Amino acid sequence: MDHSPPALELRGLTKRYDDGTLALEGFDLAVPAGRFFGLLGPNGAGKTTLISVVSNLIRITAGEALVFGEPAHRLRARRWVGLAEQDVNLDRFLTVEEVLVYHGGYFGMTGADARRRATEMIDVFDLRAKTDVRTPKLSGGMRRRLLLARALMHRPRLVILDEPTAGVDVELRYELSCYIRKLHAEGTTILLTTHYLEEAEELCEEIALIGAGQLIARDTAAGLRERYDAASLTEVYMKTVGGGRAASGAASENGGDPEAGVGGHDHESSRAGIAS
Amino acid sequence: MSTTHAPAPSPGEAVEGPHHRGARERLGDRYGLSGFLWLCRRECLRVFKLWTQTVLAPIVSSILFILVFGLSLGSRIRNFGGIEYEVFIVPGLITMAMVQAAYNNTSSSVFQGRQDRYINDILSAPMHPWQMNLGYAIGGIVRSLAIGAGLVALAIPLTGVGVQHPLVLVAGILLGLVGFSALGTIVGIFAETFDNHTFVSNIVILPLVFLGGVFYSITTLASPWQELSHVNPLFFLVNAVRYGFIGHSDVSPVLSLAVVAAIALPMYGWAQWLFSTGRRLKA
Repeated sequence: MDHSPPALELRGLTKRYDDGTLALEGFDLAVPAGRFFGLLGPNGAGKTTLISVVSNLIRITAGEALVFGEPAHRLRARRWVGLAEQDVNLDRFLTVEEVLVYHGGYFGMTGADARRRATEMIDVFDLRAKTDVRTPKLSGGMRRRLLLARALMHRPRLVILDEPTAGVDVELRYELSCYIRKLHAEGTTILLTTHYLEEAEELCEEIALIGAGQLIARDTAAGLRERYDAASLTEVYMKTVGGGRAASGAASENGGDPEAGVGGHDHESSRAGIAS
Repeated sequence: MSTTHAPAPSPGEAVEGPHHRGARERLGDRYGLSGFLWLCRRECLRVFKLWTQTVLAPIVSSILFILVFGLSLGSRIRNFGGIEYEVFIVPGLITMAMVQAAYNNTSSSVFQGRQDRYINDILSAPMHPWQMNLGYAIGGIVRSLAIGAGLVALAIPLTGVGVQHPLVLVAGILLGLVGFSALGTIVGIFAETFDNHTFVSNIVILPLVFLGGVFYSITTLASPWQELSHVNPLFFLVNAVRYGFIGHSDVSPVLSLAVVAAIALPMYGWAQWLFSTGRRLKA
């Protein structure tokens, strides 16, 4: 029996933003170590809020988040998390190589190790021709590659990819998928959010559907299809969190109490949720 | 993208003290020291990558003040306490350039990091909040010291200004830079637009420095302007630095240092509180 702590464990996680919007309420989730885990849900479901909690980017209202058994805010836990955010957020003053080396330094790598690793990542992500180019001069695809390379730079145990393939061309999406799959095969835990359901179905061993700040369902893609008597994950999605049915789905997970659902949102999205 | 020789982030690699890493890194890892040093380095890199804008420009404008007001017009202005006018204005001009640089550096760096959201790379890194706050402050302090050193190197041959009380000078400058870099951090955290940052620089700091006796001794002012000058904290900073350079001050240097410390330390504490609580930095 495996007694190793989950890669990610959320217990009673609640996040209420300063404007009163409740993004997550009493959210529980455990992602086993080594799992390729998909997090699906509409915009405003609470996916990015959840990711931001794990990455120490928002203040938790209640509950706790553990990374491999360590509270997520502790330095040790932060060292284990690699995040590629949905929006491209690269340091405009640095070159491609500097972005990687400085990130490695921030996350505890020595200069020599960081430079060595940066060289590896530059080769892996085909950034060699742009090594000395400052980030504002990169194309959209190159920025996306660099964002992913940065997230993997310090060899995190838990890699969080927030819509990594949003807005990228088919070729790059294919390459990213191959690389992420390889990373997972080597034992890294992957937490992926995406709006491409076929991508989630293809890559993820397990999928959680979240809507309105609540966990609606969680299973393998096949298990979800069977449970919801659906031919595809898209159909499952539409029956649960899509098409404005999140509230009814949430209610089913909360003992049928339709009032238990809350107006969640991704923190950079519209604050149209239920305010207190 | 190559998928054939991808670096292997094996699951055990980052657990605890991987064998291939040295003790130095493990120590840095545990206490966030590595991240702190790299943040300091990043802030300094930013200053020196943009050196014409961040260092050269303030030196040139301050030297122009010395040349125009000191050397050209100085002979027509009476001495203050037997000190030549071109010498009298040097400490104030150096103070003005340094505090503005300290403020501008942290304010713009933090604001740009927030605006483009790459500050998330710092906030999510294994660093203590005090290391983040100090890392940003050091960028401002280094930039100011580079400007100060450049100005002193040019002012000595131009005016013959010397250093009479080095301890007071060092204490005054350090306290001033801590206070103004912290103010910049606070404004960078609260600013909604770049206008907020420039507003504080141009509408608050600049007038206070000018009215703090950079170009004159307040003994030349009539009442109530002389008394009102004592409400201006920059008056005390300018006088502490002037005392350090030329041994002349309109007020006791001990009082000057005490007032500057009484403003700088709470300011730094406020910036620290923002990093510790995540207010305005984290949603």
